[in-house]
Amino acid sequence: MLADVLIVLAKVVLALTWTLLLALFLTWVERKESAVMQDRIGANRASVFGLRLFGLFQPFADAIKMLFKEDFAPTFSQRALHWLAPTFSFFFVSVAIVAVPFGDTVRLFGRRIPLQVVDLNAAVLFVLAMLSLGIYGILVSGWASANRYALIGSLRGAAQLISYEVALGLSLVGLIMVFPSLSLSRIVESQGALLFGFLPKWGVFLQPLGFAVFFLAGMAGTKRVPFDLPEGESEIIGFYTEYGGLKFGLFMFTDFLEVIVLSAMSTTLFFGGWQVPWLGDGGFAFPWGGRLDVAPWAVTVLRVLAFNLKVFFFCWLQILTRWTYPRFRYDQIMDLGWKVLVPLGVGNILITGLILAARG
Amino acid sequence: MSGLKRVGLTIDGLKVQAAEGTSILKAAEQAGVVIPHFCYHPALEIEGNCRMCVVEIEGLPKLEPSCSALVREGLVVRTSTERVREARKDVLAFLLAEHPLDCPICDKAGECRLQDYYDRHGLTASRMVEPRERREKKLAIGRGLILDRERCVLCTRCVRFLRQMPGTGELGVFERGLRSEVGIFEDAPVDNGYSGNLVDICPVGAITAEDFRFKTRAWFLARKPSVCPHCGRGCAVTVESVSGYPLAKGERRVYRITARENPAVNGFWICDLGRDGRRDIDEGRHARLMKAGVPVAGLSWQTALADVAAAIRTVPGPERSAGIAVVLNGRLTCEELALAKRLFVAGLGLSKVYFADRKPGSADGLLLTAERLPNGRGVLEAGFAPRLPALDEIAAADVLLVFGPYLSEHLAEEALAKAWAGIPSKFLFSAHEGPLDRLADIVFPVAVPAEKSGTYINVDGTRQTFAQAVKPAAGVAAESAILAGLANLLALDAGGGDAR
Amino acid sequence: MIKAWLVVKELLRGAGITSRHFFVNMTFHTLRLFGIKTKRRGAVTIQYPEERKELSPRHRSLHRIRPRDDGRPSCVACMLCVTVCPSECISVEAAEDPDPEVQKVPAKFVVDLNRCCFCGFCVEACPVDAIRMDTGEIRLASKTRAGLEARLDKP
Repeated sequence: MLADVLIVLAKVVLALTWTLLLALFLTWVERKESAVMQDRIGANRASVFGLRLFGLFQPFADAIKMLFKEDFAPTFSQRALHWLAPTFSFFFVSVAIVAVPFGDTVRLFGRRIPLQVVDLNAAVLFVLAMLSLGIYGILVSGWASANRYALIGSLRGAAQLISYEVALGLSLVGLIMVFPSLSLSRIVESQGALLFGFLPKWGVFLQPLGFAVFFLAGMAGTKRVPFDLPEGESEIIGFYTEYGGLKFGLFMFTDFLEVIVLSAMSTTLFFGGWQVPWLGDGGFAFPWGGRLDVAPWAVTVLRVLAFNLKVFFFCWLQILTRWTYPRFRYDQIMDLGWKVLVPLGVGNILITGLILAARG
Repeated sequence: MSGLKRVGLTIDGLKVQAAEGTSILKAAEQAGVVIPHFCYHPALEIEGNCRMCVVEIEGLPKLEPSCSALVREGLVVRTSTERVREARKDVLAFLLAEHPLDCPICDKAGECRLQDYYDRHGLTASRMVEPRERREKKLAIGRGLILDRERCVLCTRCVRFLRQMPGTGELGVFERGLRSEVGIFEDAPVDNGYSGNLVDICPVGAITAEDFRFKTRAWFLARKPSVCPHCGRGCAVTVESVSGYPLAKGERRVYRITARENPAVNGFWICDLGRDGRRDIDEGRHARLMKAGVPVAGLSWQTALADVAAAIRTVPGPERSAGIAVVLNGRLTCEELALAKRLFVAGLGLSKVYFADRKPGSADGLLLTAERLPNGRGVLEAGFAPRLPALDEIAAADVLLVFGPYLSEHLAEEALAKAWAGIPSKFLFSAHEGPLDRLADIVFPVAVPAEKSGTYINVDGTRQTFAQAVKPAAGVAAESAILAGLANLLALDAGGGDAR
Repeated sequence: MIKAWLVVKELLRGAGITSRHFFVNMTFHTLRLFGIKTKRRGAVTIQYPEERKELSPRHRSLHRIRPRDDGRPSCVACMLCVTVCPSECISVEAAEDPDPEVQKVPAKFVVDLNRCCFCGFCVEACPVDAIRMDTGEIRLASKTRAGLEARLDKP
């Protein structure tokens, strides 16, 4: 019993550390990737004892800077709520990560330990719910700031998130119909099979439209460019108008956590999670008939690595998107949500249902 | 143009009427045709040596200098034909062949005829390959004048002026031909009361004034007309001042005073005393209210004037005539004198109204009068009988108002101090520092004539109205404002109609 | 449908451009990291304090007054720079020089860099080519206003 608790605790710590470190790393990646895209170099000055490491210490320098900034709140703001808002956002996003499987199971000290904090049987719903709850952070921050721009920003945020929540949910219905489960670990396991004997049975191959809708709606949910209407720094500054220092840092960090959660969910639901193509528990079984035996520990390592690589690819993709496209207009963003993504999601369900019915 | 016969001629196609005996240059000027010239000056005899003013006259084979050619009936004159322009260009080329191009260090730059004409009529490249002739660059010729022989174009305006106007003739042209140069006779520098005009009439920068030398540049100066307050003549002057950039704090505001043409009073000239009047505007001035001889921080005109009004009120009505003494001066404008009359004589019923002014000097028979106050006639016209106060008359007063620092010129300082010591309240309204400052309870800084607008009546009875030429420093007010304010505080009618 | 496809096509084209830049630049960065010097660099950035771009020959930097042969300033205090200066930042006080060939020298020549807009009009206006803006000193900063008042008549 005690061992179970300890194991869960260890997994929680590991998962959180992984997420937070990745988010920290992403702040650096964002700077560097945008710089490289724009023929620049990017932050490279932060150093420890003269060691620069391409500016890898920049996130720590930023963190220290934000920690030591003045904890400012406007005169008429509601102090408690003002503080609570960023923690709200931060908390719900970091909670969402617990349902994501990082790998398959490992055998340690005679126990089978799934590399997943909790294997919820309704994990898909859980993650969606947690992401939706994050909206309270935005709403509260806008209200507590006692600032018109912040309020407008938070209302925009709420409207945008609710709109895309619908599309996000609809896009997953088809997937759940194909892999008849709401458990993420079950979905990942189902994606280990092969399609037509050679193609990995990943969600993206079964539900290409569903993935497109899911990824787009998910990106809108992260509130980053080109979907940064709630922030809109060139027009209304947005819901963190009155935030500075650590509190602003939390908001910013939440953004990166959302990027990670979206990447992890995309990986898990549509790109086989920790699955490596053609790698079974015993080793590779290539479709052209070749076989390659791999030690069980190596299989686990490969799978965790694959998961991380996929997540990282989606993070990269999102940052690329963020630095490529300009911001949508508000009516365009609503159009995209309600008139494009929602009908596409419904259509996807229809098509999936028809195909499933036809195949009996 | 009463008795003179008028003749008709054509200048540049314009039909022009001019009195017989007028030069073509003058007739053209009256018709609005400008002919460039160096040596011609309307007040000086014609010499015609610069050849800049040549024009083409129909029927004459050569170009004629328009300054000496007189108008005749039916003359057809052309001032800007190709020949004339070519001739001007050549004249300029000859002048510039020997002219040192030191415009950057020349005080005349910006108001130099040679500069202007080169720009308008010359614009030729120098054809001189020989080195320029070197001459005396900095020759003191007396009275703070500096002669630069390199710059001189030998127009002899200066020589003619000194011969004609003051009649002293200190300058002459020496040597001949190429070596001609303007100079003074041995050991006899320029020394007359009108020497400053040489700087004004010199068409180039050959004669410059020490007082103005290198102080600023001509184009920074704002030129405002005013009337000279230093003698009874009331000559028309131009006050040239710099306000704002590039003035640094503490620099002088008025850089020079130059003559302004007024045929009815002074013609083209002013005397050196009036020219030196720029010191009167900038030097030895009071800038702040003073109590017992020291500036008081935070003392405002309102409270200080209220003190004066309160002191006047302490004297009951019937005793005012004897108890309050006022000393005015002849530098006040007619408007201010009318106001003073209304306030002190009509309003307060004072009988002890005296006048103290600069001591008369000697007249020079030209412009400078013996009287050294600008508005002596104005004082009489306002209905005052100007009289210098005796010591005991001042000493008997309870309240003493003195305008101007001139009392100390007439009465010994110690005696004044003794007399003033017995007066309970005494106030001084003065533009300049003087021995009276430490005697008065409050010293009010007032404006000098160049900083006010008003009217002066000169010795000949000519009435001249002038406007403000320089802005007074902050904290300095004109007497008109003081008198009006006092009348206001005493609830007397200041008569807004006849005083500003 | 066609419109939607056009939108998607353009979106993809944009992403293609940015990712091309990313991968091409990344390649050059990586090559450099492994010590392979290529002519082209991954970024156009100049690492400012360590690396300096060479100033163009017609650049304008801190003013100087060209000295005469004997080391004194060649300025004759004609105040044309003062006249032409659009930001009114030059103040010159003239003084008399005993040498009649020189006559006028600056007693004080101050350029207030707080106000100067580095237009170079003073250089163009100078009749004796005394003032120049070719010192190459472009890092002009001071913690006091007085520190930005350049006295040019003293070397």
